[in-house]
Amino acid sequence: MFEQYLSLTHYDIFFFLKAIGMTLWITLVSITIGTLIGIVMGLIRCSKNRIVAAIPLIYIEPLRNSPLVTQLFLTYYGLPVVANIVLDAEAAAIITLSLNTGAFFSVLVHSAVKAIPKLQWEAGFALGHNRYSNFRNIIAPQVLRLLIPSAITLYINQLQVSSFVSLISLIDLTKAGHILTLRTMRPFLIYGIVFVLYFAISYPLSKLAQRLEKKVAFNF
Amino acid sequence: MAMIEVRNITKAFGNLVVLKNFSVDFDQSGVTVILGPSGTGKSTLLRCINGLETIDSGDILVDGLSVREKKNLKDIRIKCGMVFQQTILFPHLDVLENLVISPIKILGRPRNEAIEQAKELLNKVGLIDKLHSKHNELSGGEQQRIAIARAMMMNPKALLLDEITSALDPEMSTEVLKIIEKLAQDGVVMLIVTHEIPFARRIASRVLFLEYGSVVSDTSNEEFFTTVKEDNERIARFIQNIHH
Ligand SMILES: Nc1ncnc2c1ncn2[C@@H]1O[C@H](COP(=O)(O)OP(=O)(O)OP(=O)(O)O)[C@@H](O)[C@H]1O
Ligand SMILES: [Mg+2]
Repeated sequence: MFEQYLSLTHYDIFFFLKAIGMTLWITLVSITIGTLIGIVMGLIRCSKNRIVAAIPLIYIEPLRNSPLVTQLFLTYYGLPVVANIVLDAEAAAIITLSLNTGAFFSVLVHSAVKAIPKLQWEAGFALGHNRYSNFRNIIAPQVLRLLIPSAITLYINQLQVSSFVSLISLIDLTKAGHILTLRTMRPFLIYGIVFVLYFAISYPLSKLAQRLEKKVAFNF
Repeated sequence: MAMIEVRNITKAFGNLVVLKNFSVDFDQSGVTVILGPSGTGKSTLLRCINGLETIDSGDILVDGLSVREKKNLKDIRIKCGMVFQQTILFPHLDVLENLVISPIKILGRPRNEAIEQAKELLNKVGLIDKLHSKHNELSGGEQQRIAIARAMMMNPKALLLDEITSALDPEMSTEVLKIIEKLAQDGVVMLIVTHEIPFARRIASRVLFLEYGSVVSDTSNEEFFTTVKEDNERIARFIQNIHH
């Protein structure tokens, strides 16, 4: 009955589920890879050597300061032309979103490390820790706590901007909405469902981020 | 051989020469109180001794180990525990973990042994009931007592204390100073920078008075508070001013 009301067939439901799967897959893979890239780049940004510390900016700044759609088109349509690399839409989406997430994540890591007061380092050194042991045992656990809420917020954002992959003909949640709208001619309903689905994933996560943020806040 | 030998060191921050051709020895006994006006390099001296600041020339030997060699820093810092003016507990760890993490990770001590020692020390500083408190559940004075216990966990040969009560209100300072007096009675070697004159007078075996990065007077406690104080107008004024 419910399905009739929506004029959706079983096939459409299945289509939607597959599309959610695609959205989640693209998002999860790219935030995982992006997090790894971000940790590495973020830590290089923290180097005491200024030149070394500046190197990741060559990667970070362009990606943070251009639209994701442009980055997607560049990878998907641009690369085959200049480098003769042909990527399928899924690979192009994952690569672009991973690099994009990595750029933002590096900044989170860098600023979380910077947010730890210098005195914390000194207290560790004064006890006999070397730089590595100090970072590993004293600084990193604090960095992690500062990082988690902002990481979740970034992940939610990446989930939402993953909707741009619909523009390179990947059938994610947004694209599925588009296709079903064309078929059913009920845009408000279909996009309503799409809306609710994004919201249903994002909202609990953002609440979680808020709660963690309160919980892990230190006043040094 | 003195335990800490400061040999003709110079330390500058940019154009500001803080310590110039500075020499002093500290034996492995007693409590040395370091007095002097603000900005004369007292903190800088302590920080140079345990390698938190690098010296521009001269040398400092701790138990014969030069601070100029990077590989000695770990041993030097283990030998010279330091407590700072600001209370710096590790905020992600409770009191017990603050105490045991370094002996376990750096000295490779077994955890249960470290915990035993931590409990003894917390007893000594009167905070055994705070074993599992976090730093934000503790007063400034309590945090500072824990920082002292944490430094003692490394079984240092000497403690460097840099104005550890000056950020505390009087009541809390009293608690902390009591602990220091107790440690002094136990024979812990200490270099103490302080502005608490009555405390200095009670605890010091030796008093060092610094001004403009050099030693103006280096005497026993009695001598400092009688002869030196009477003979040196600036020192007399310094002590006068600090009382108010
Ligand atoms: N990291 C630094 N960079 C630049 N100047 C510094 C630094 N640390 C200390 N100084 C300067 O060196 C001088 C000596 O400082 P220091 O902290 O050793 O003095 P102090 O005797 O401990 O004074 P106080 O009684 O105020 O603590 C001061 O003029 C201070 O401003
Ligand atoms: Mg000082």
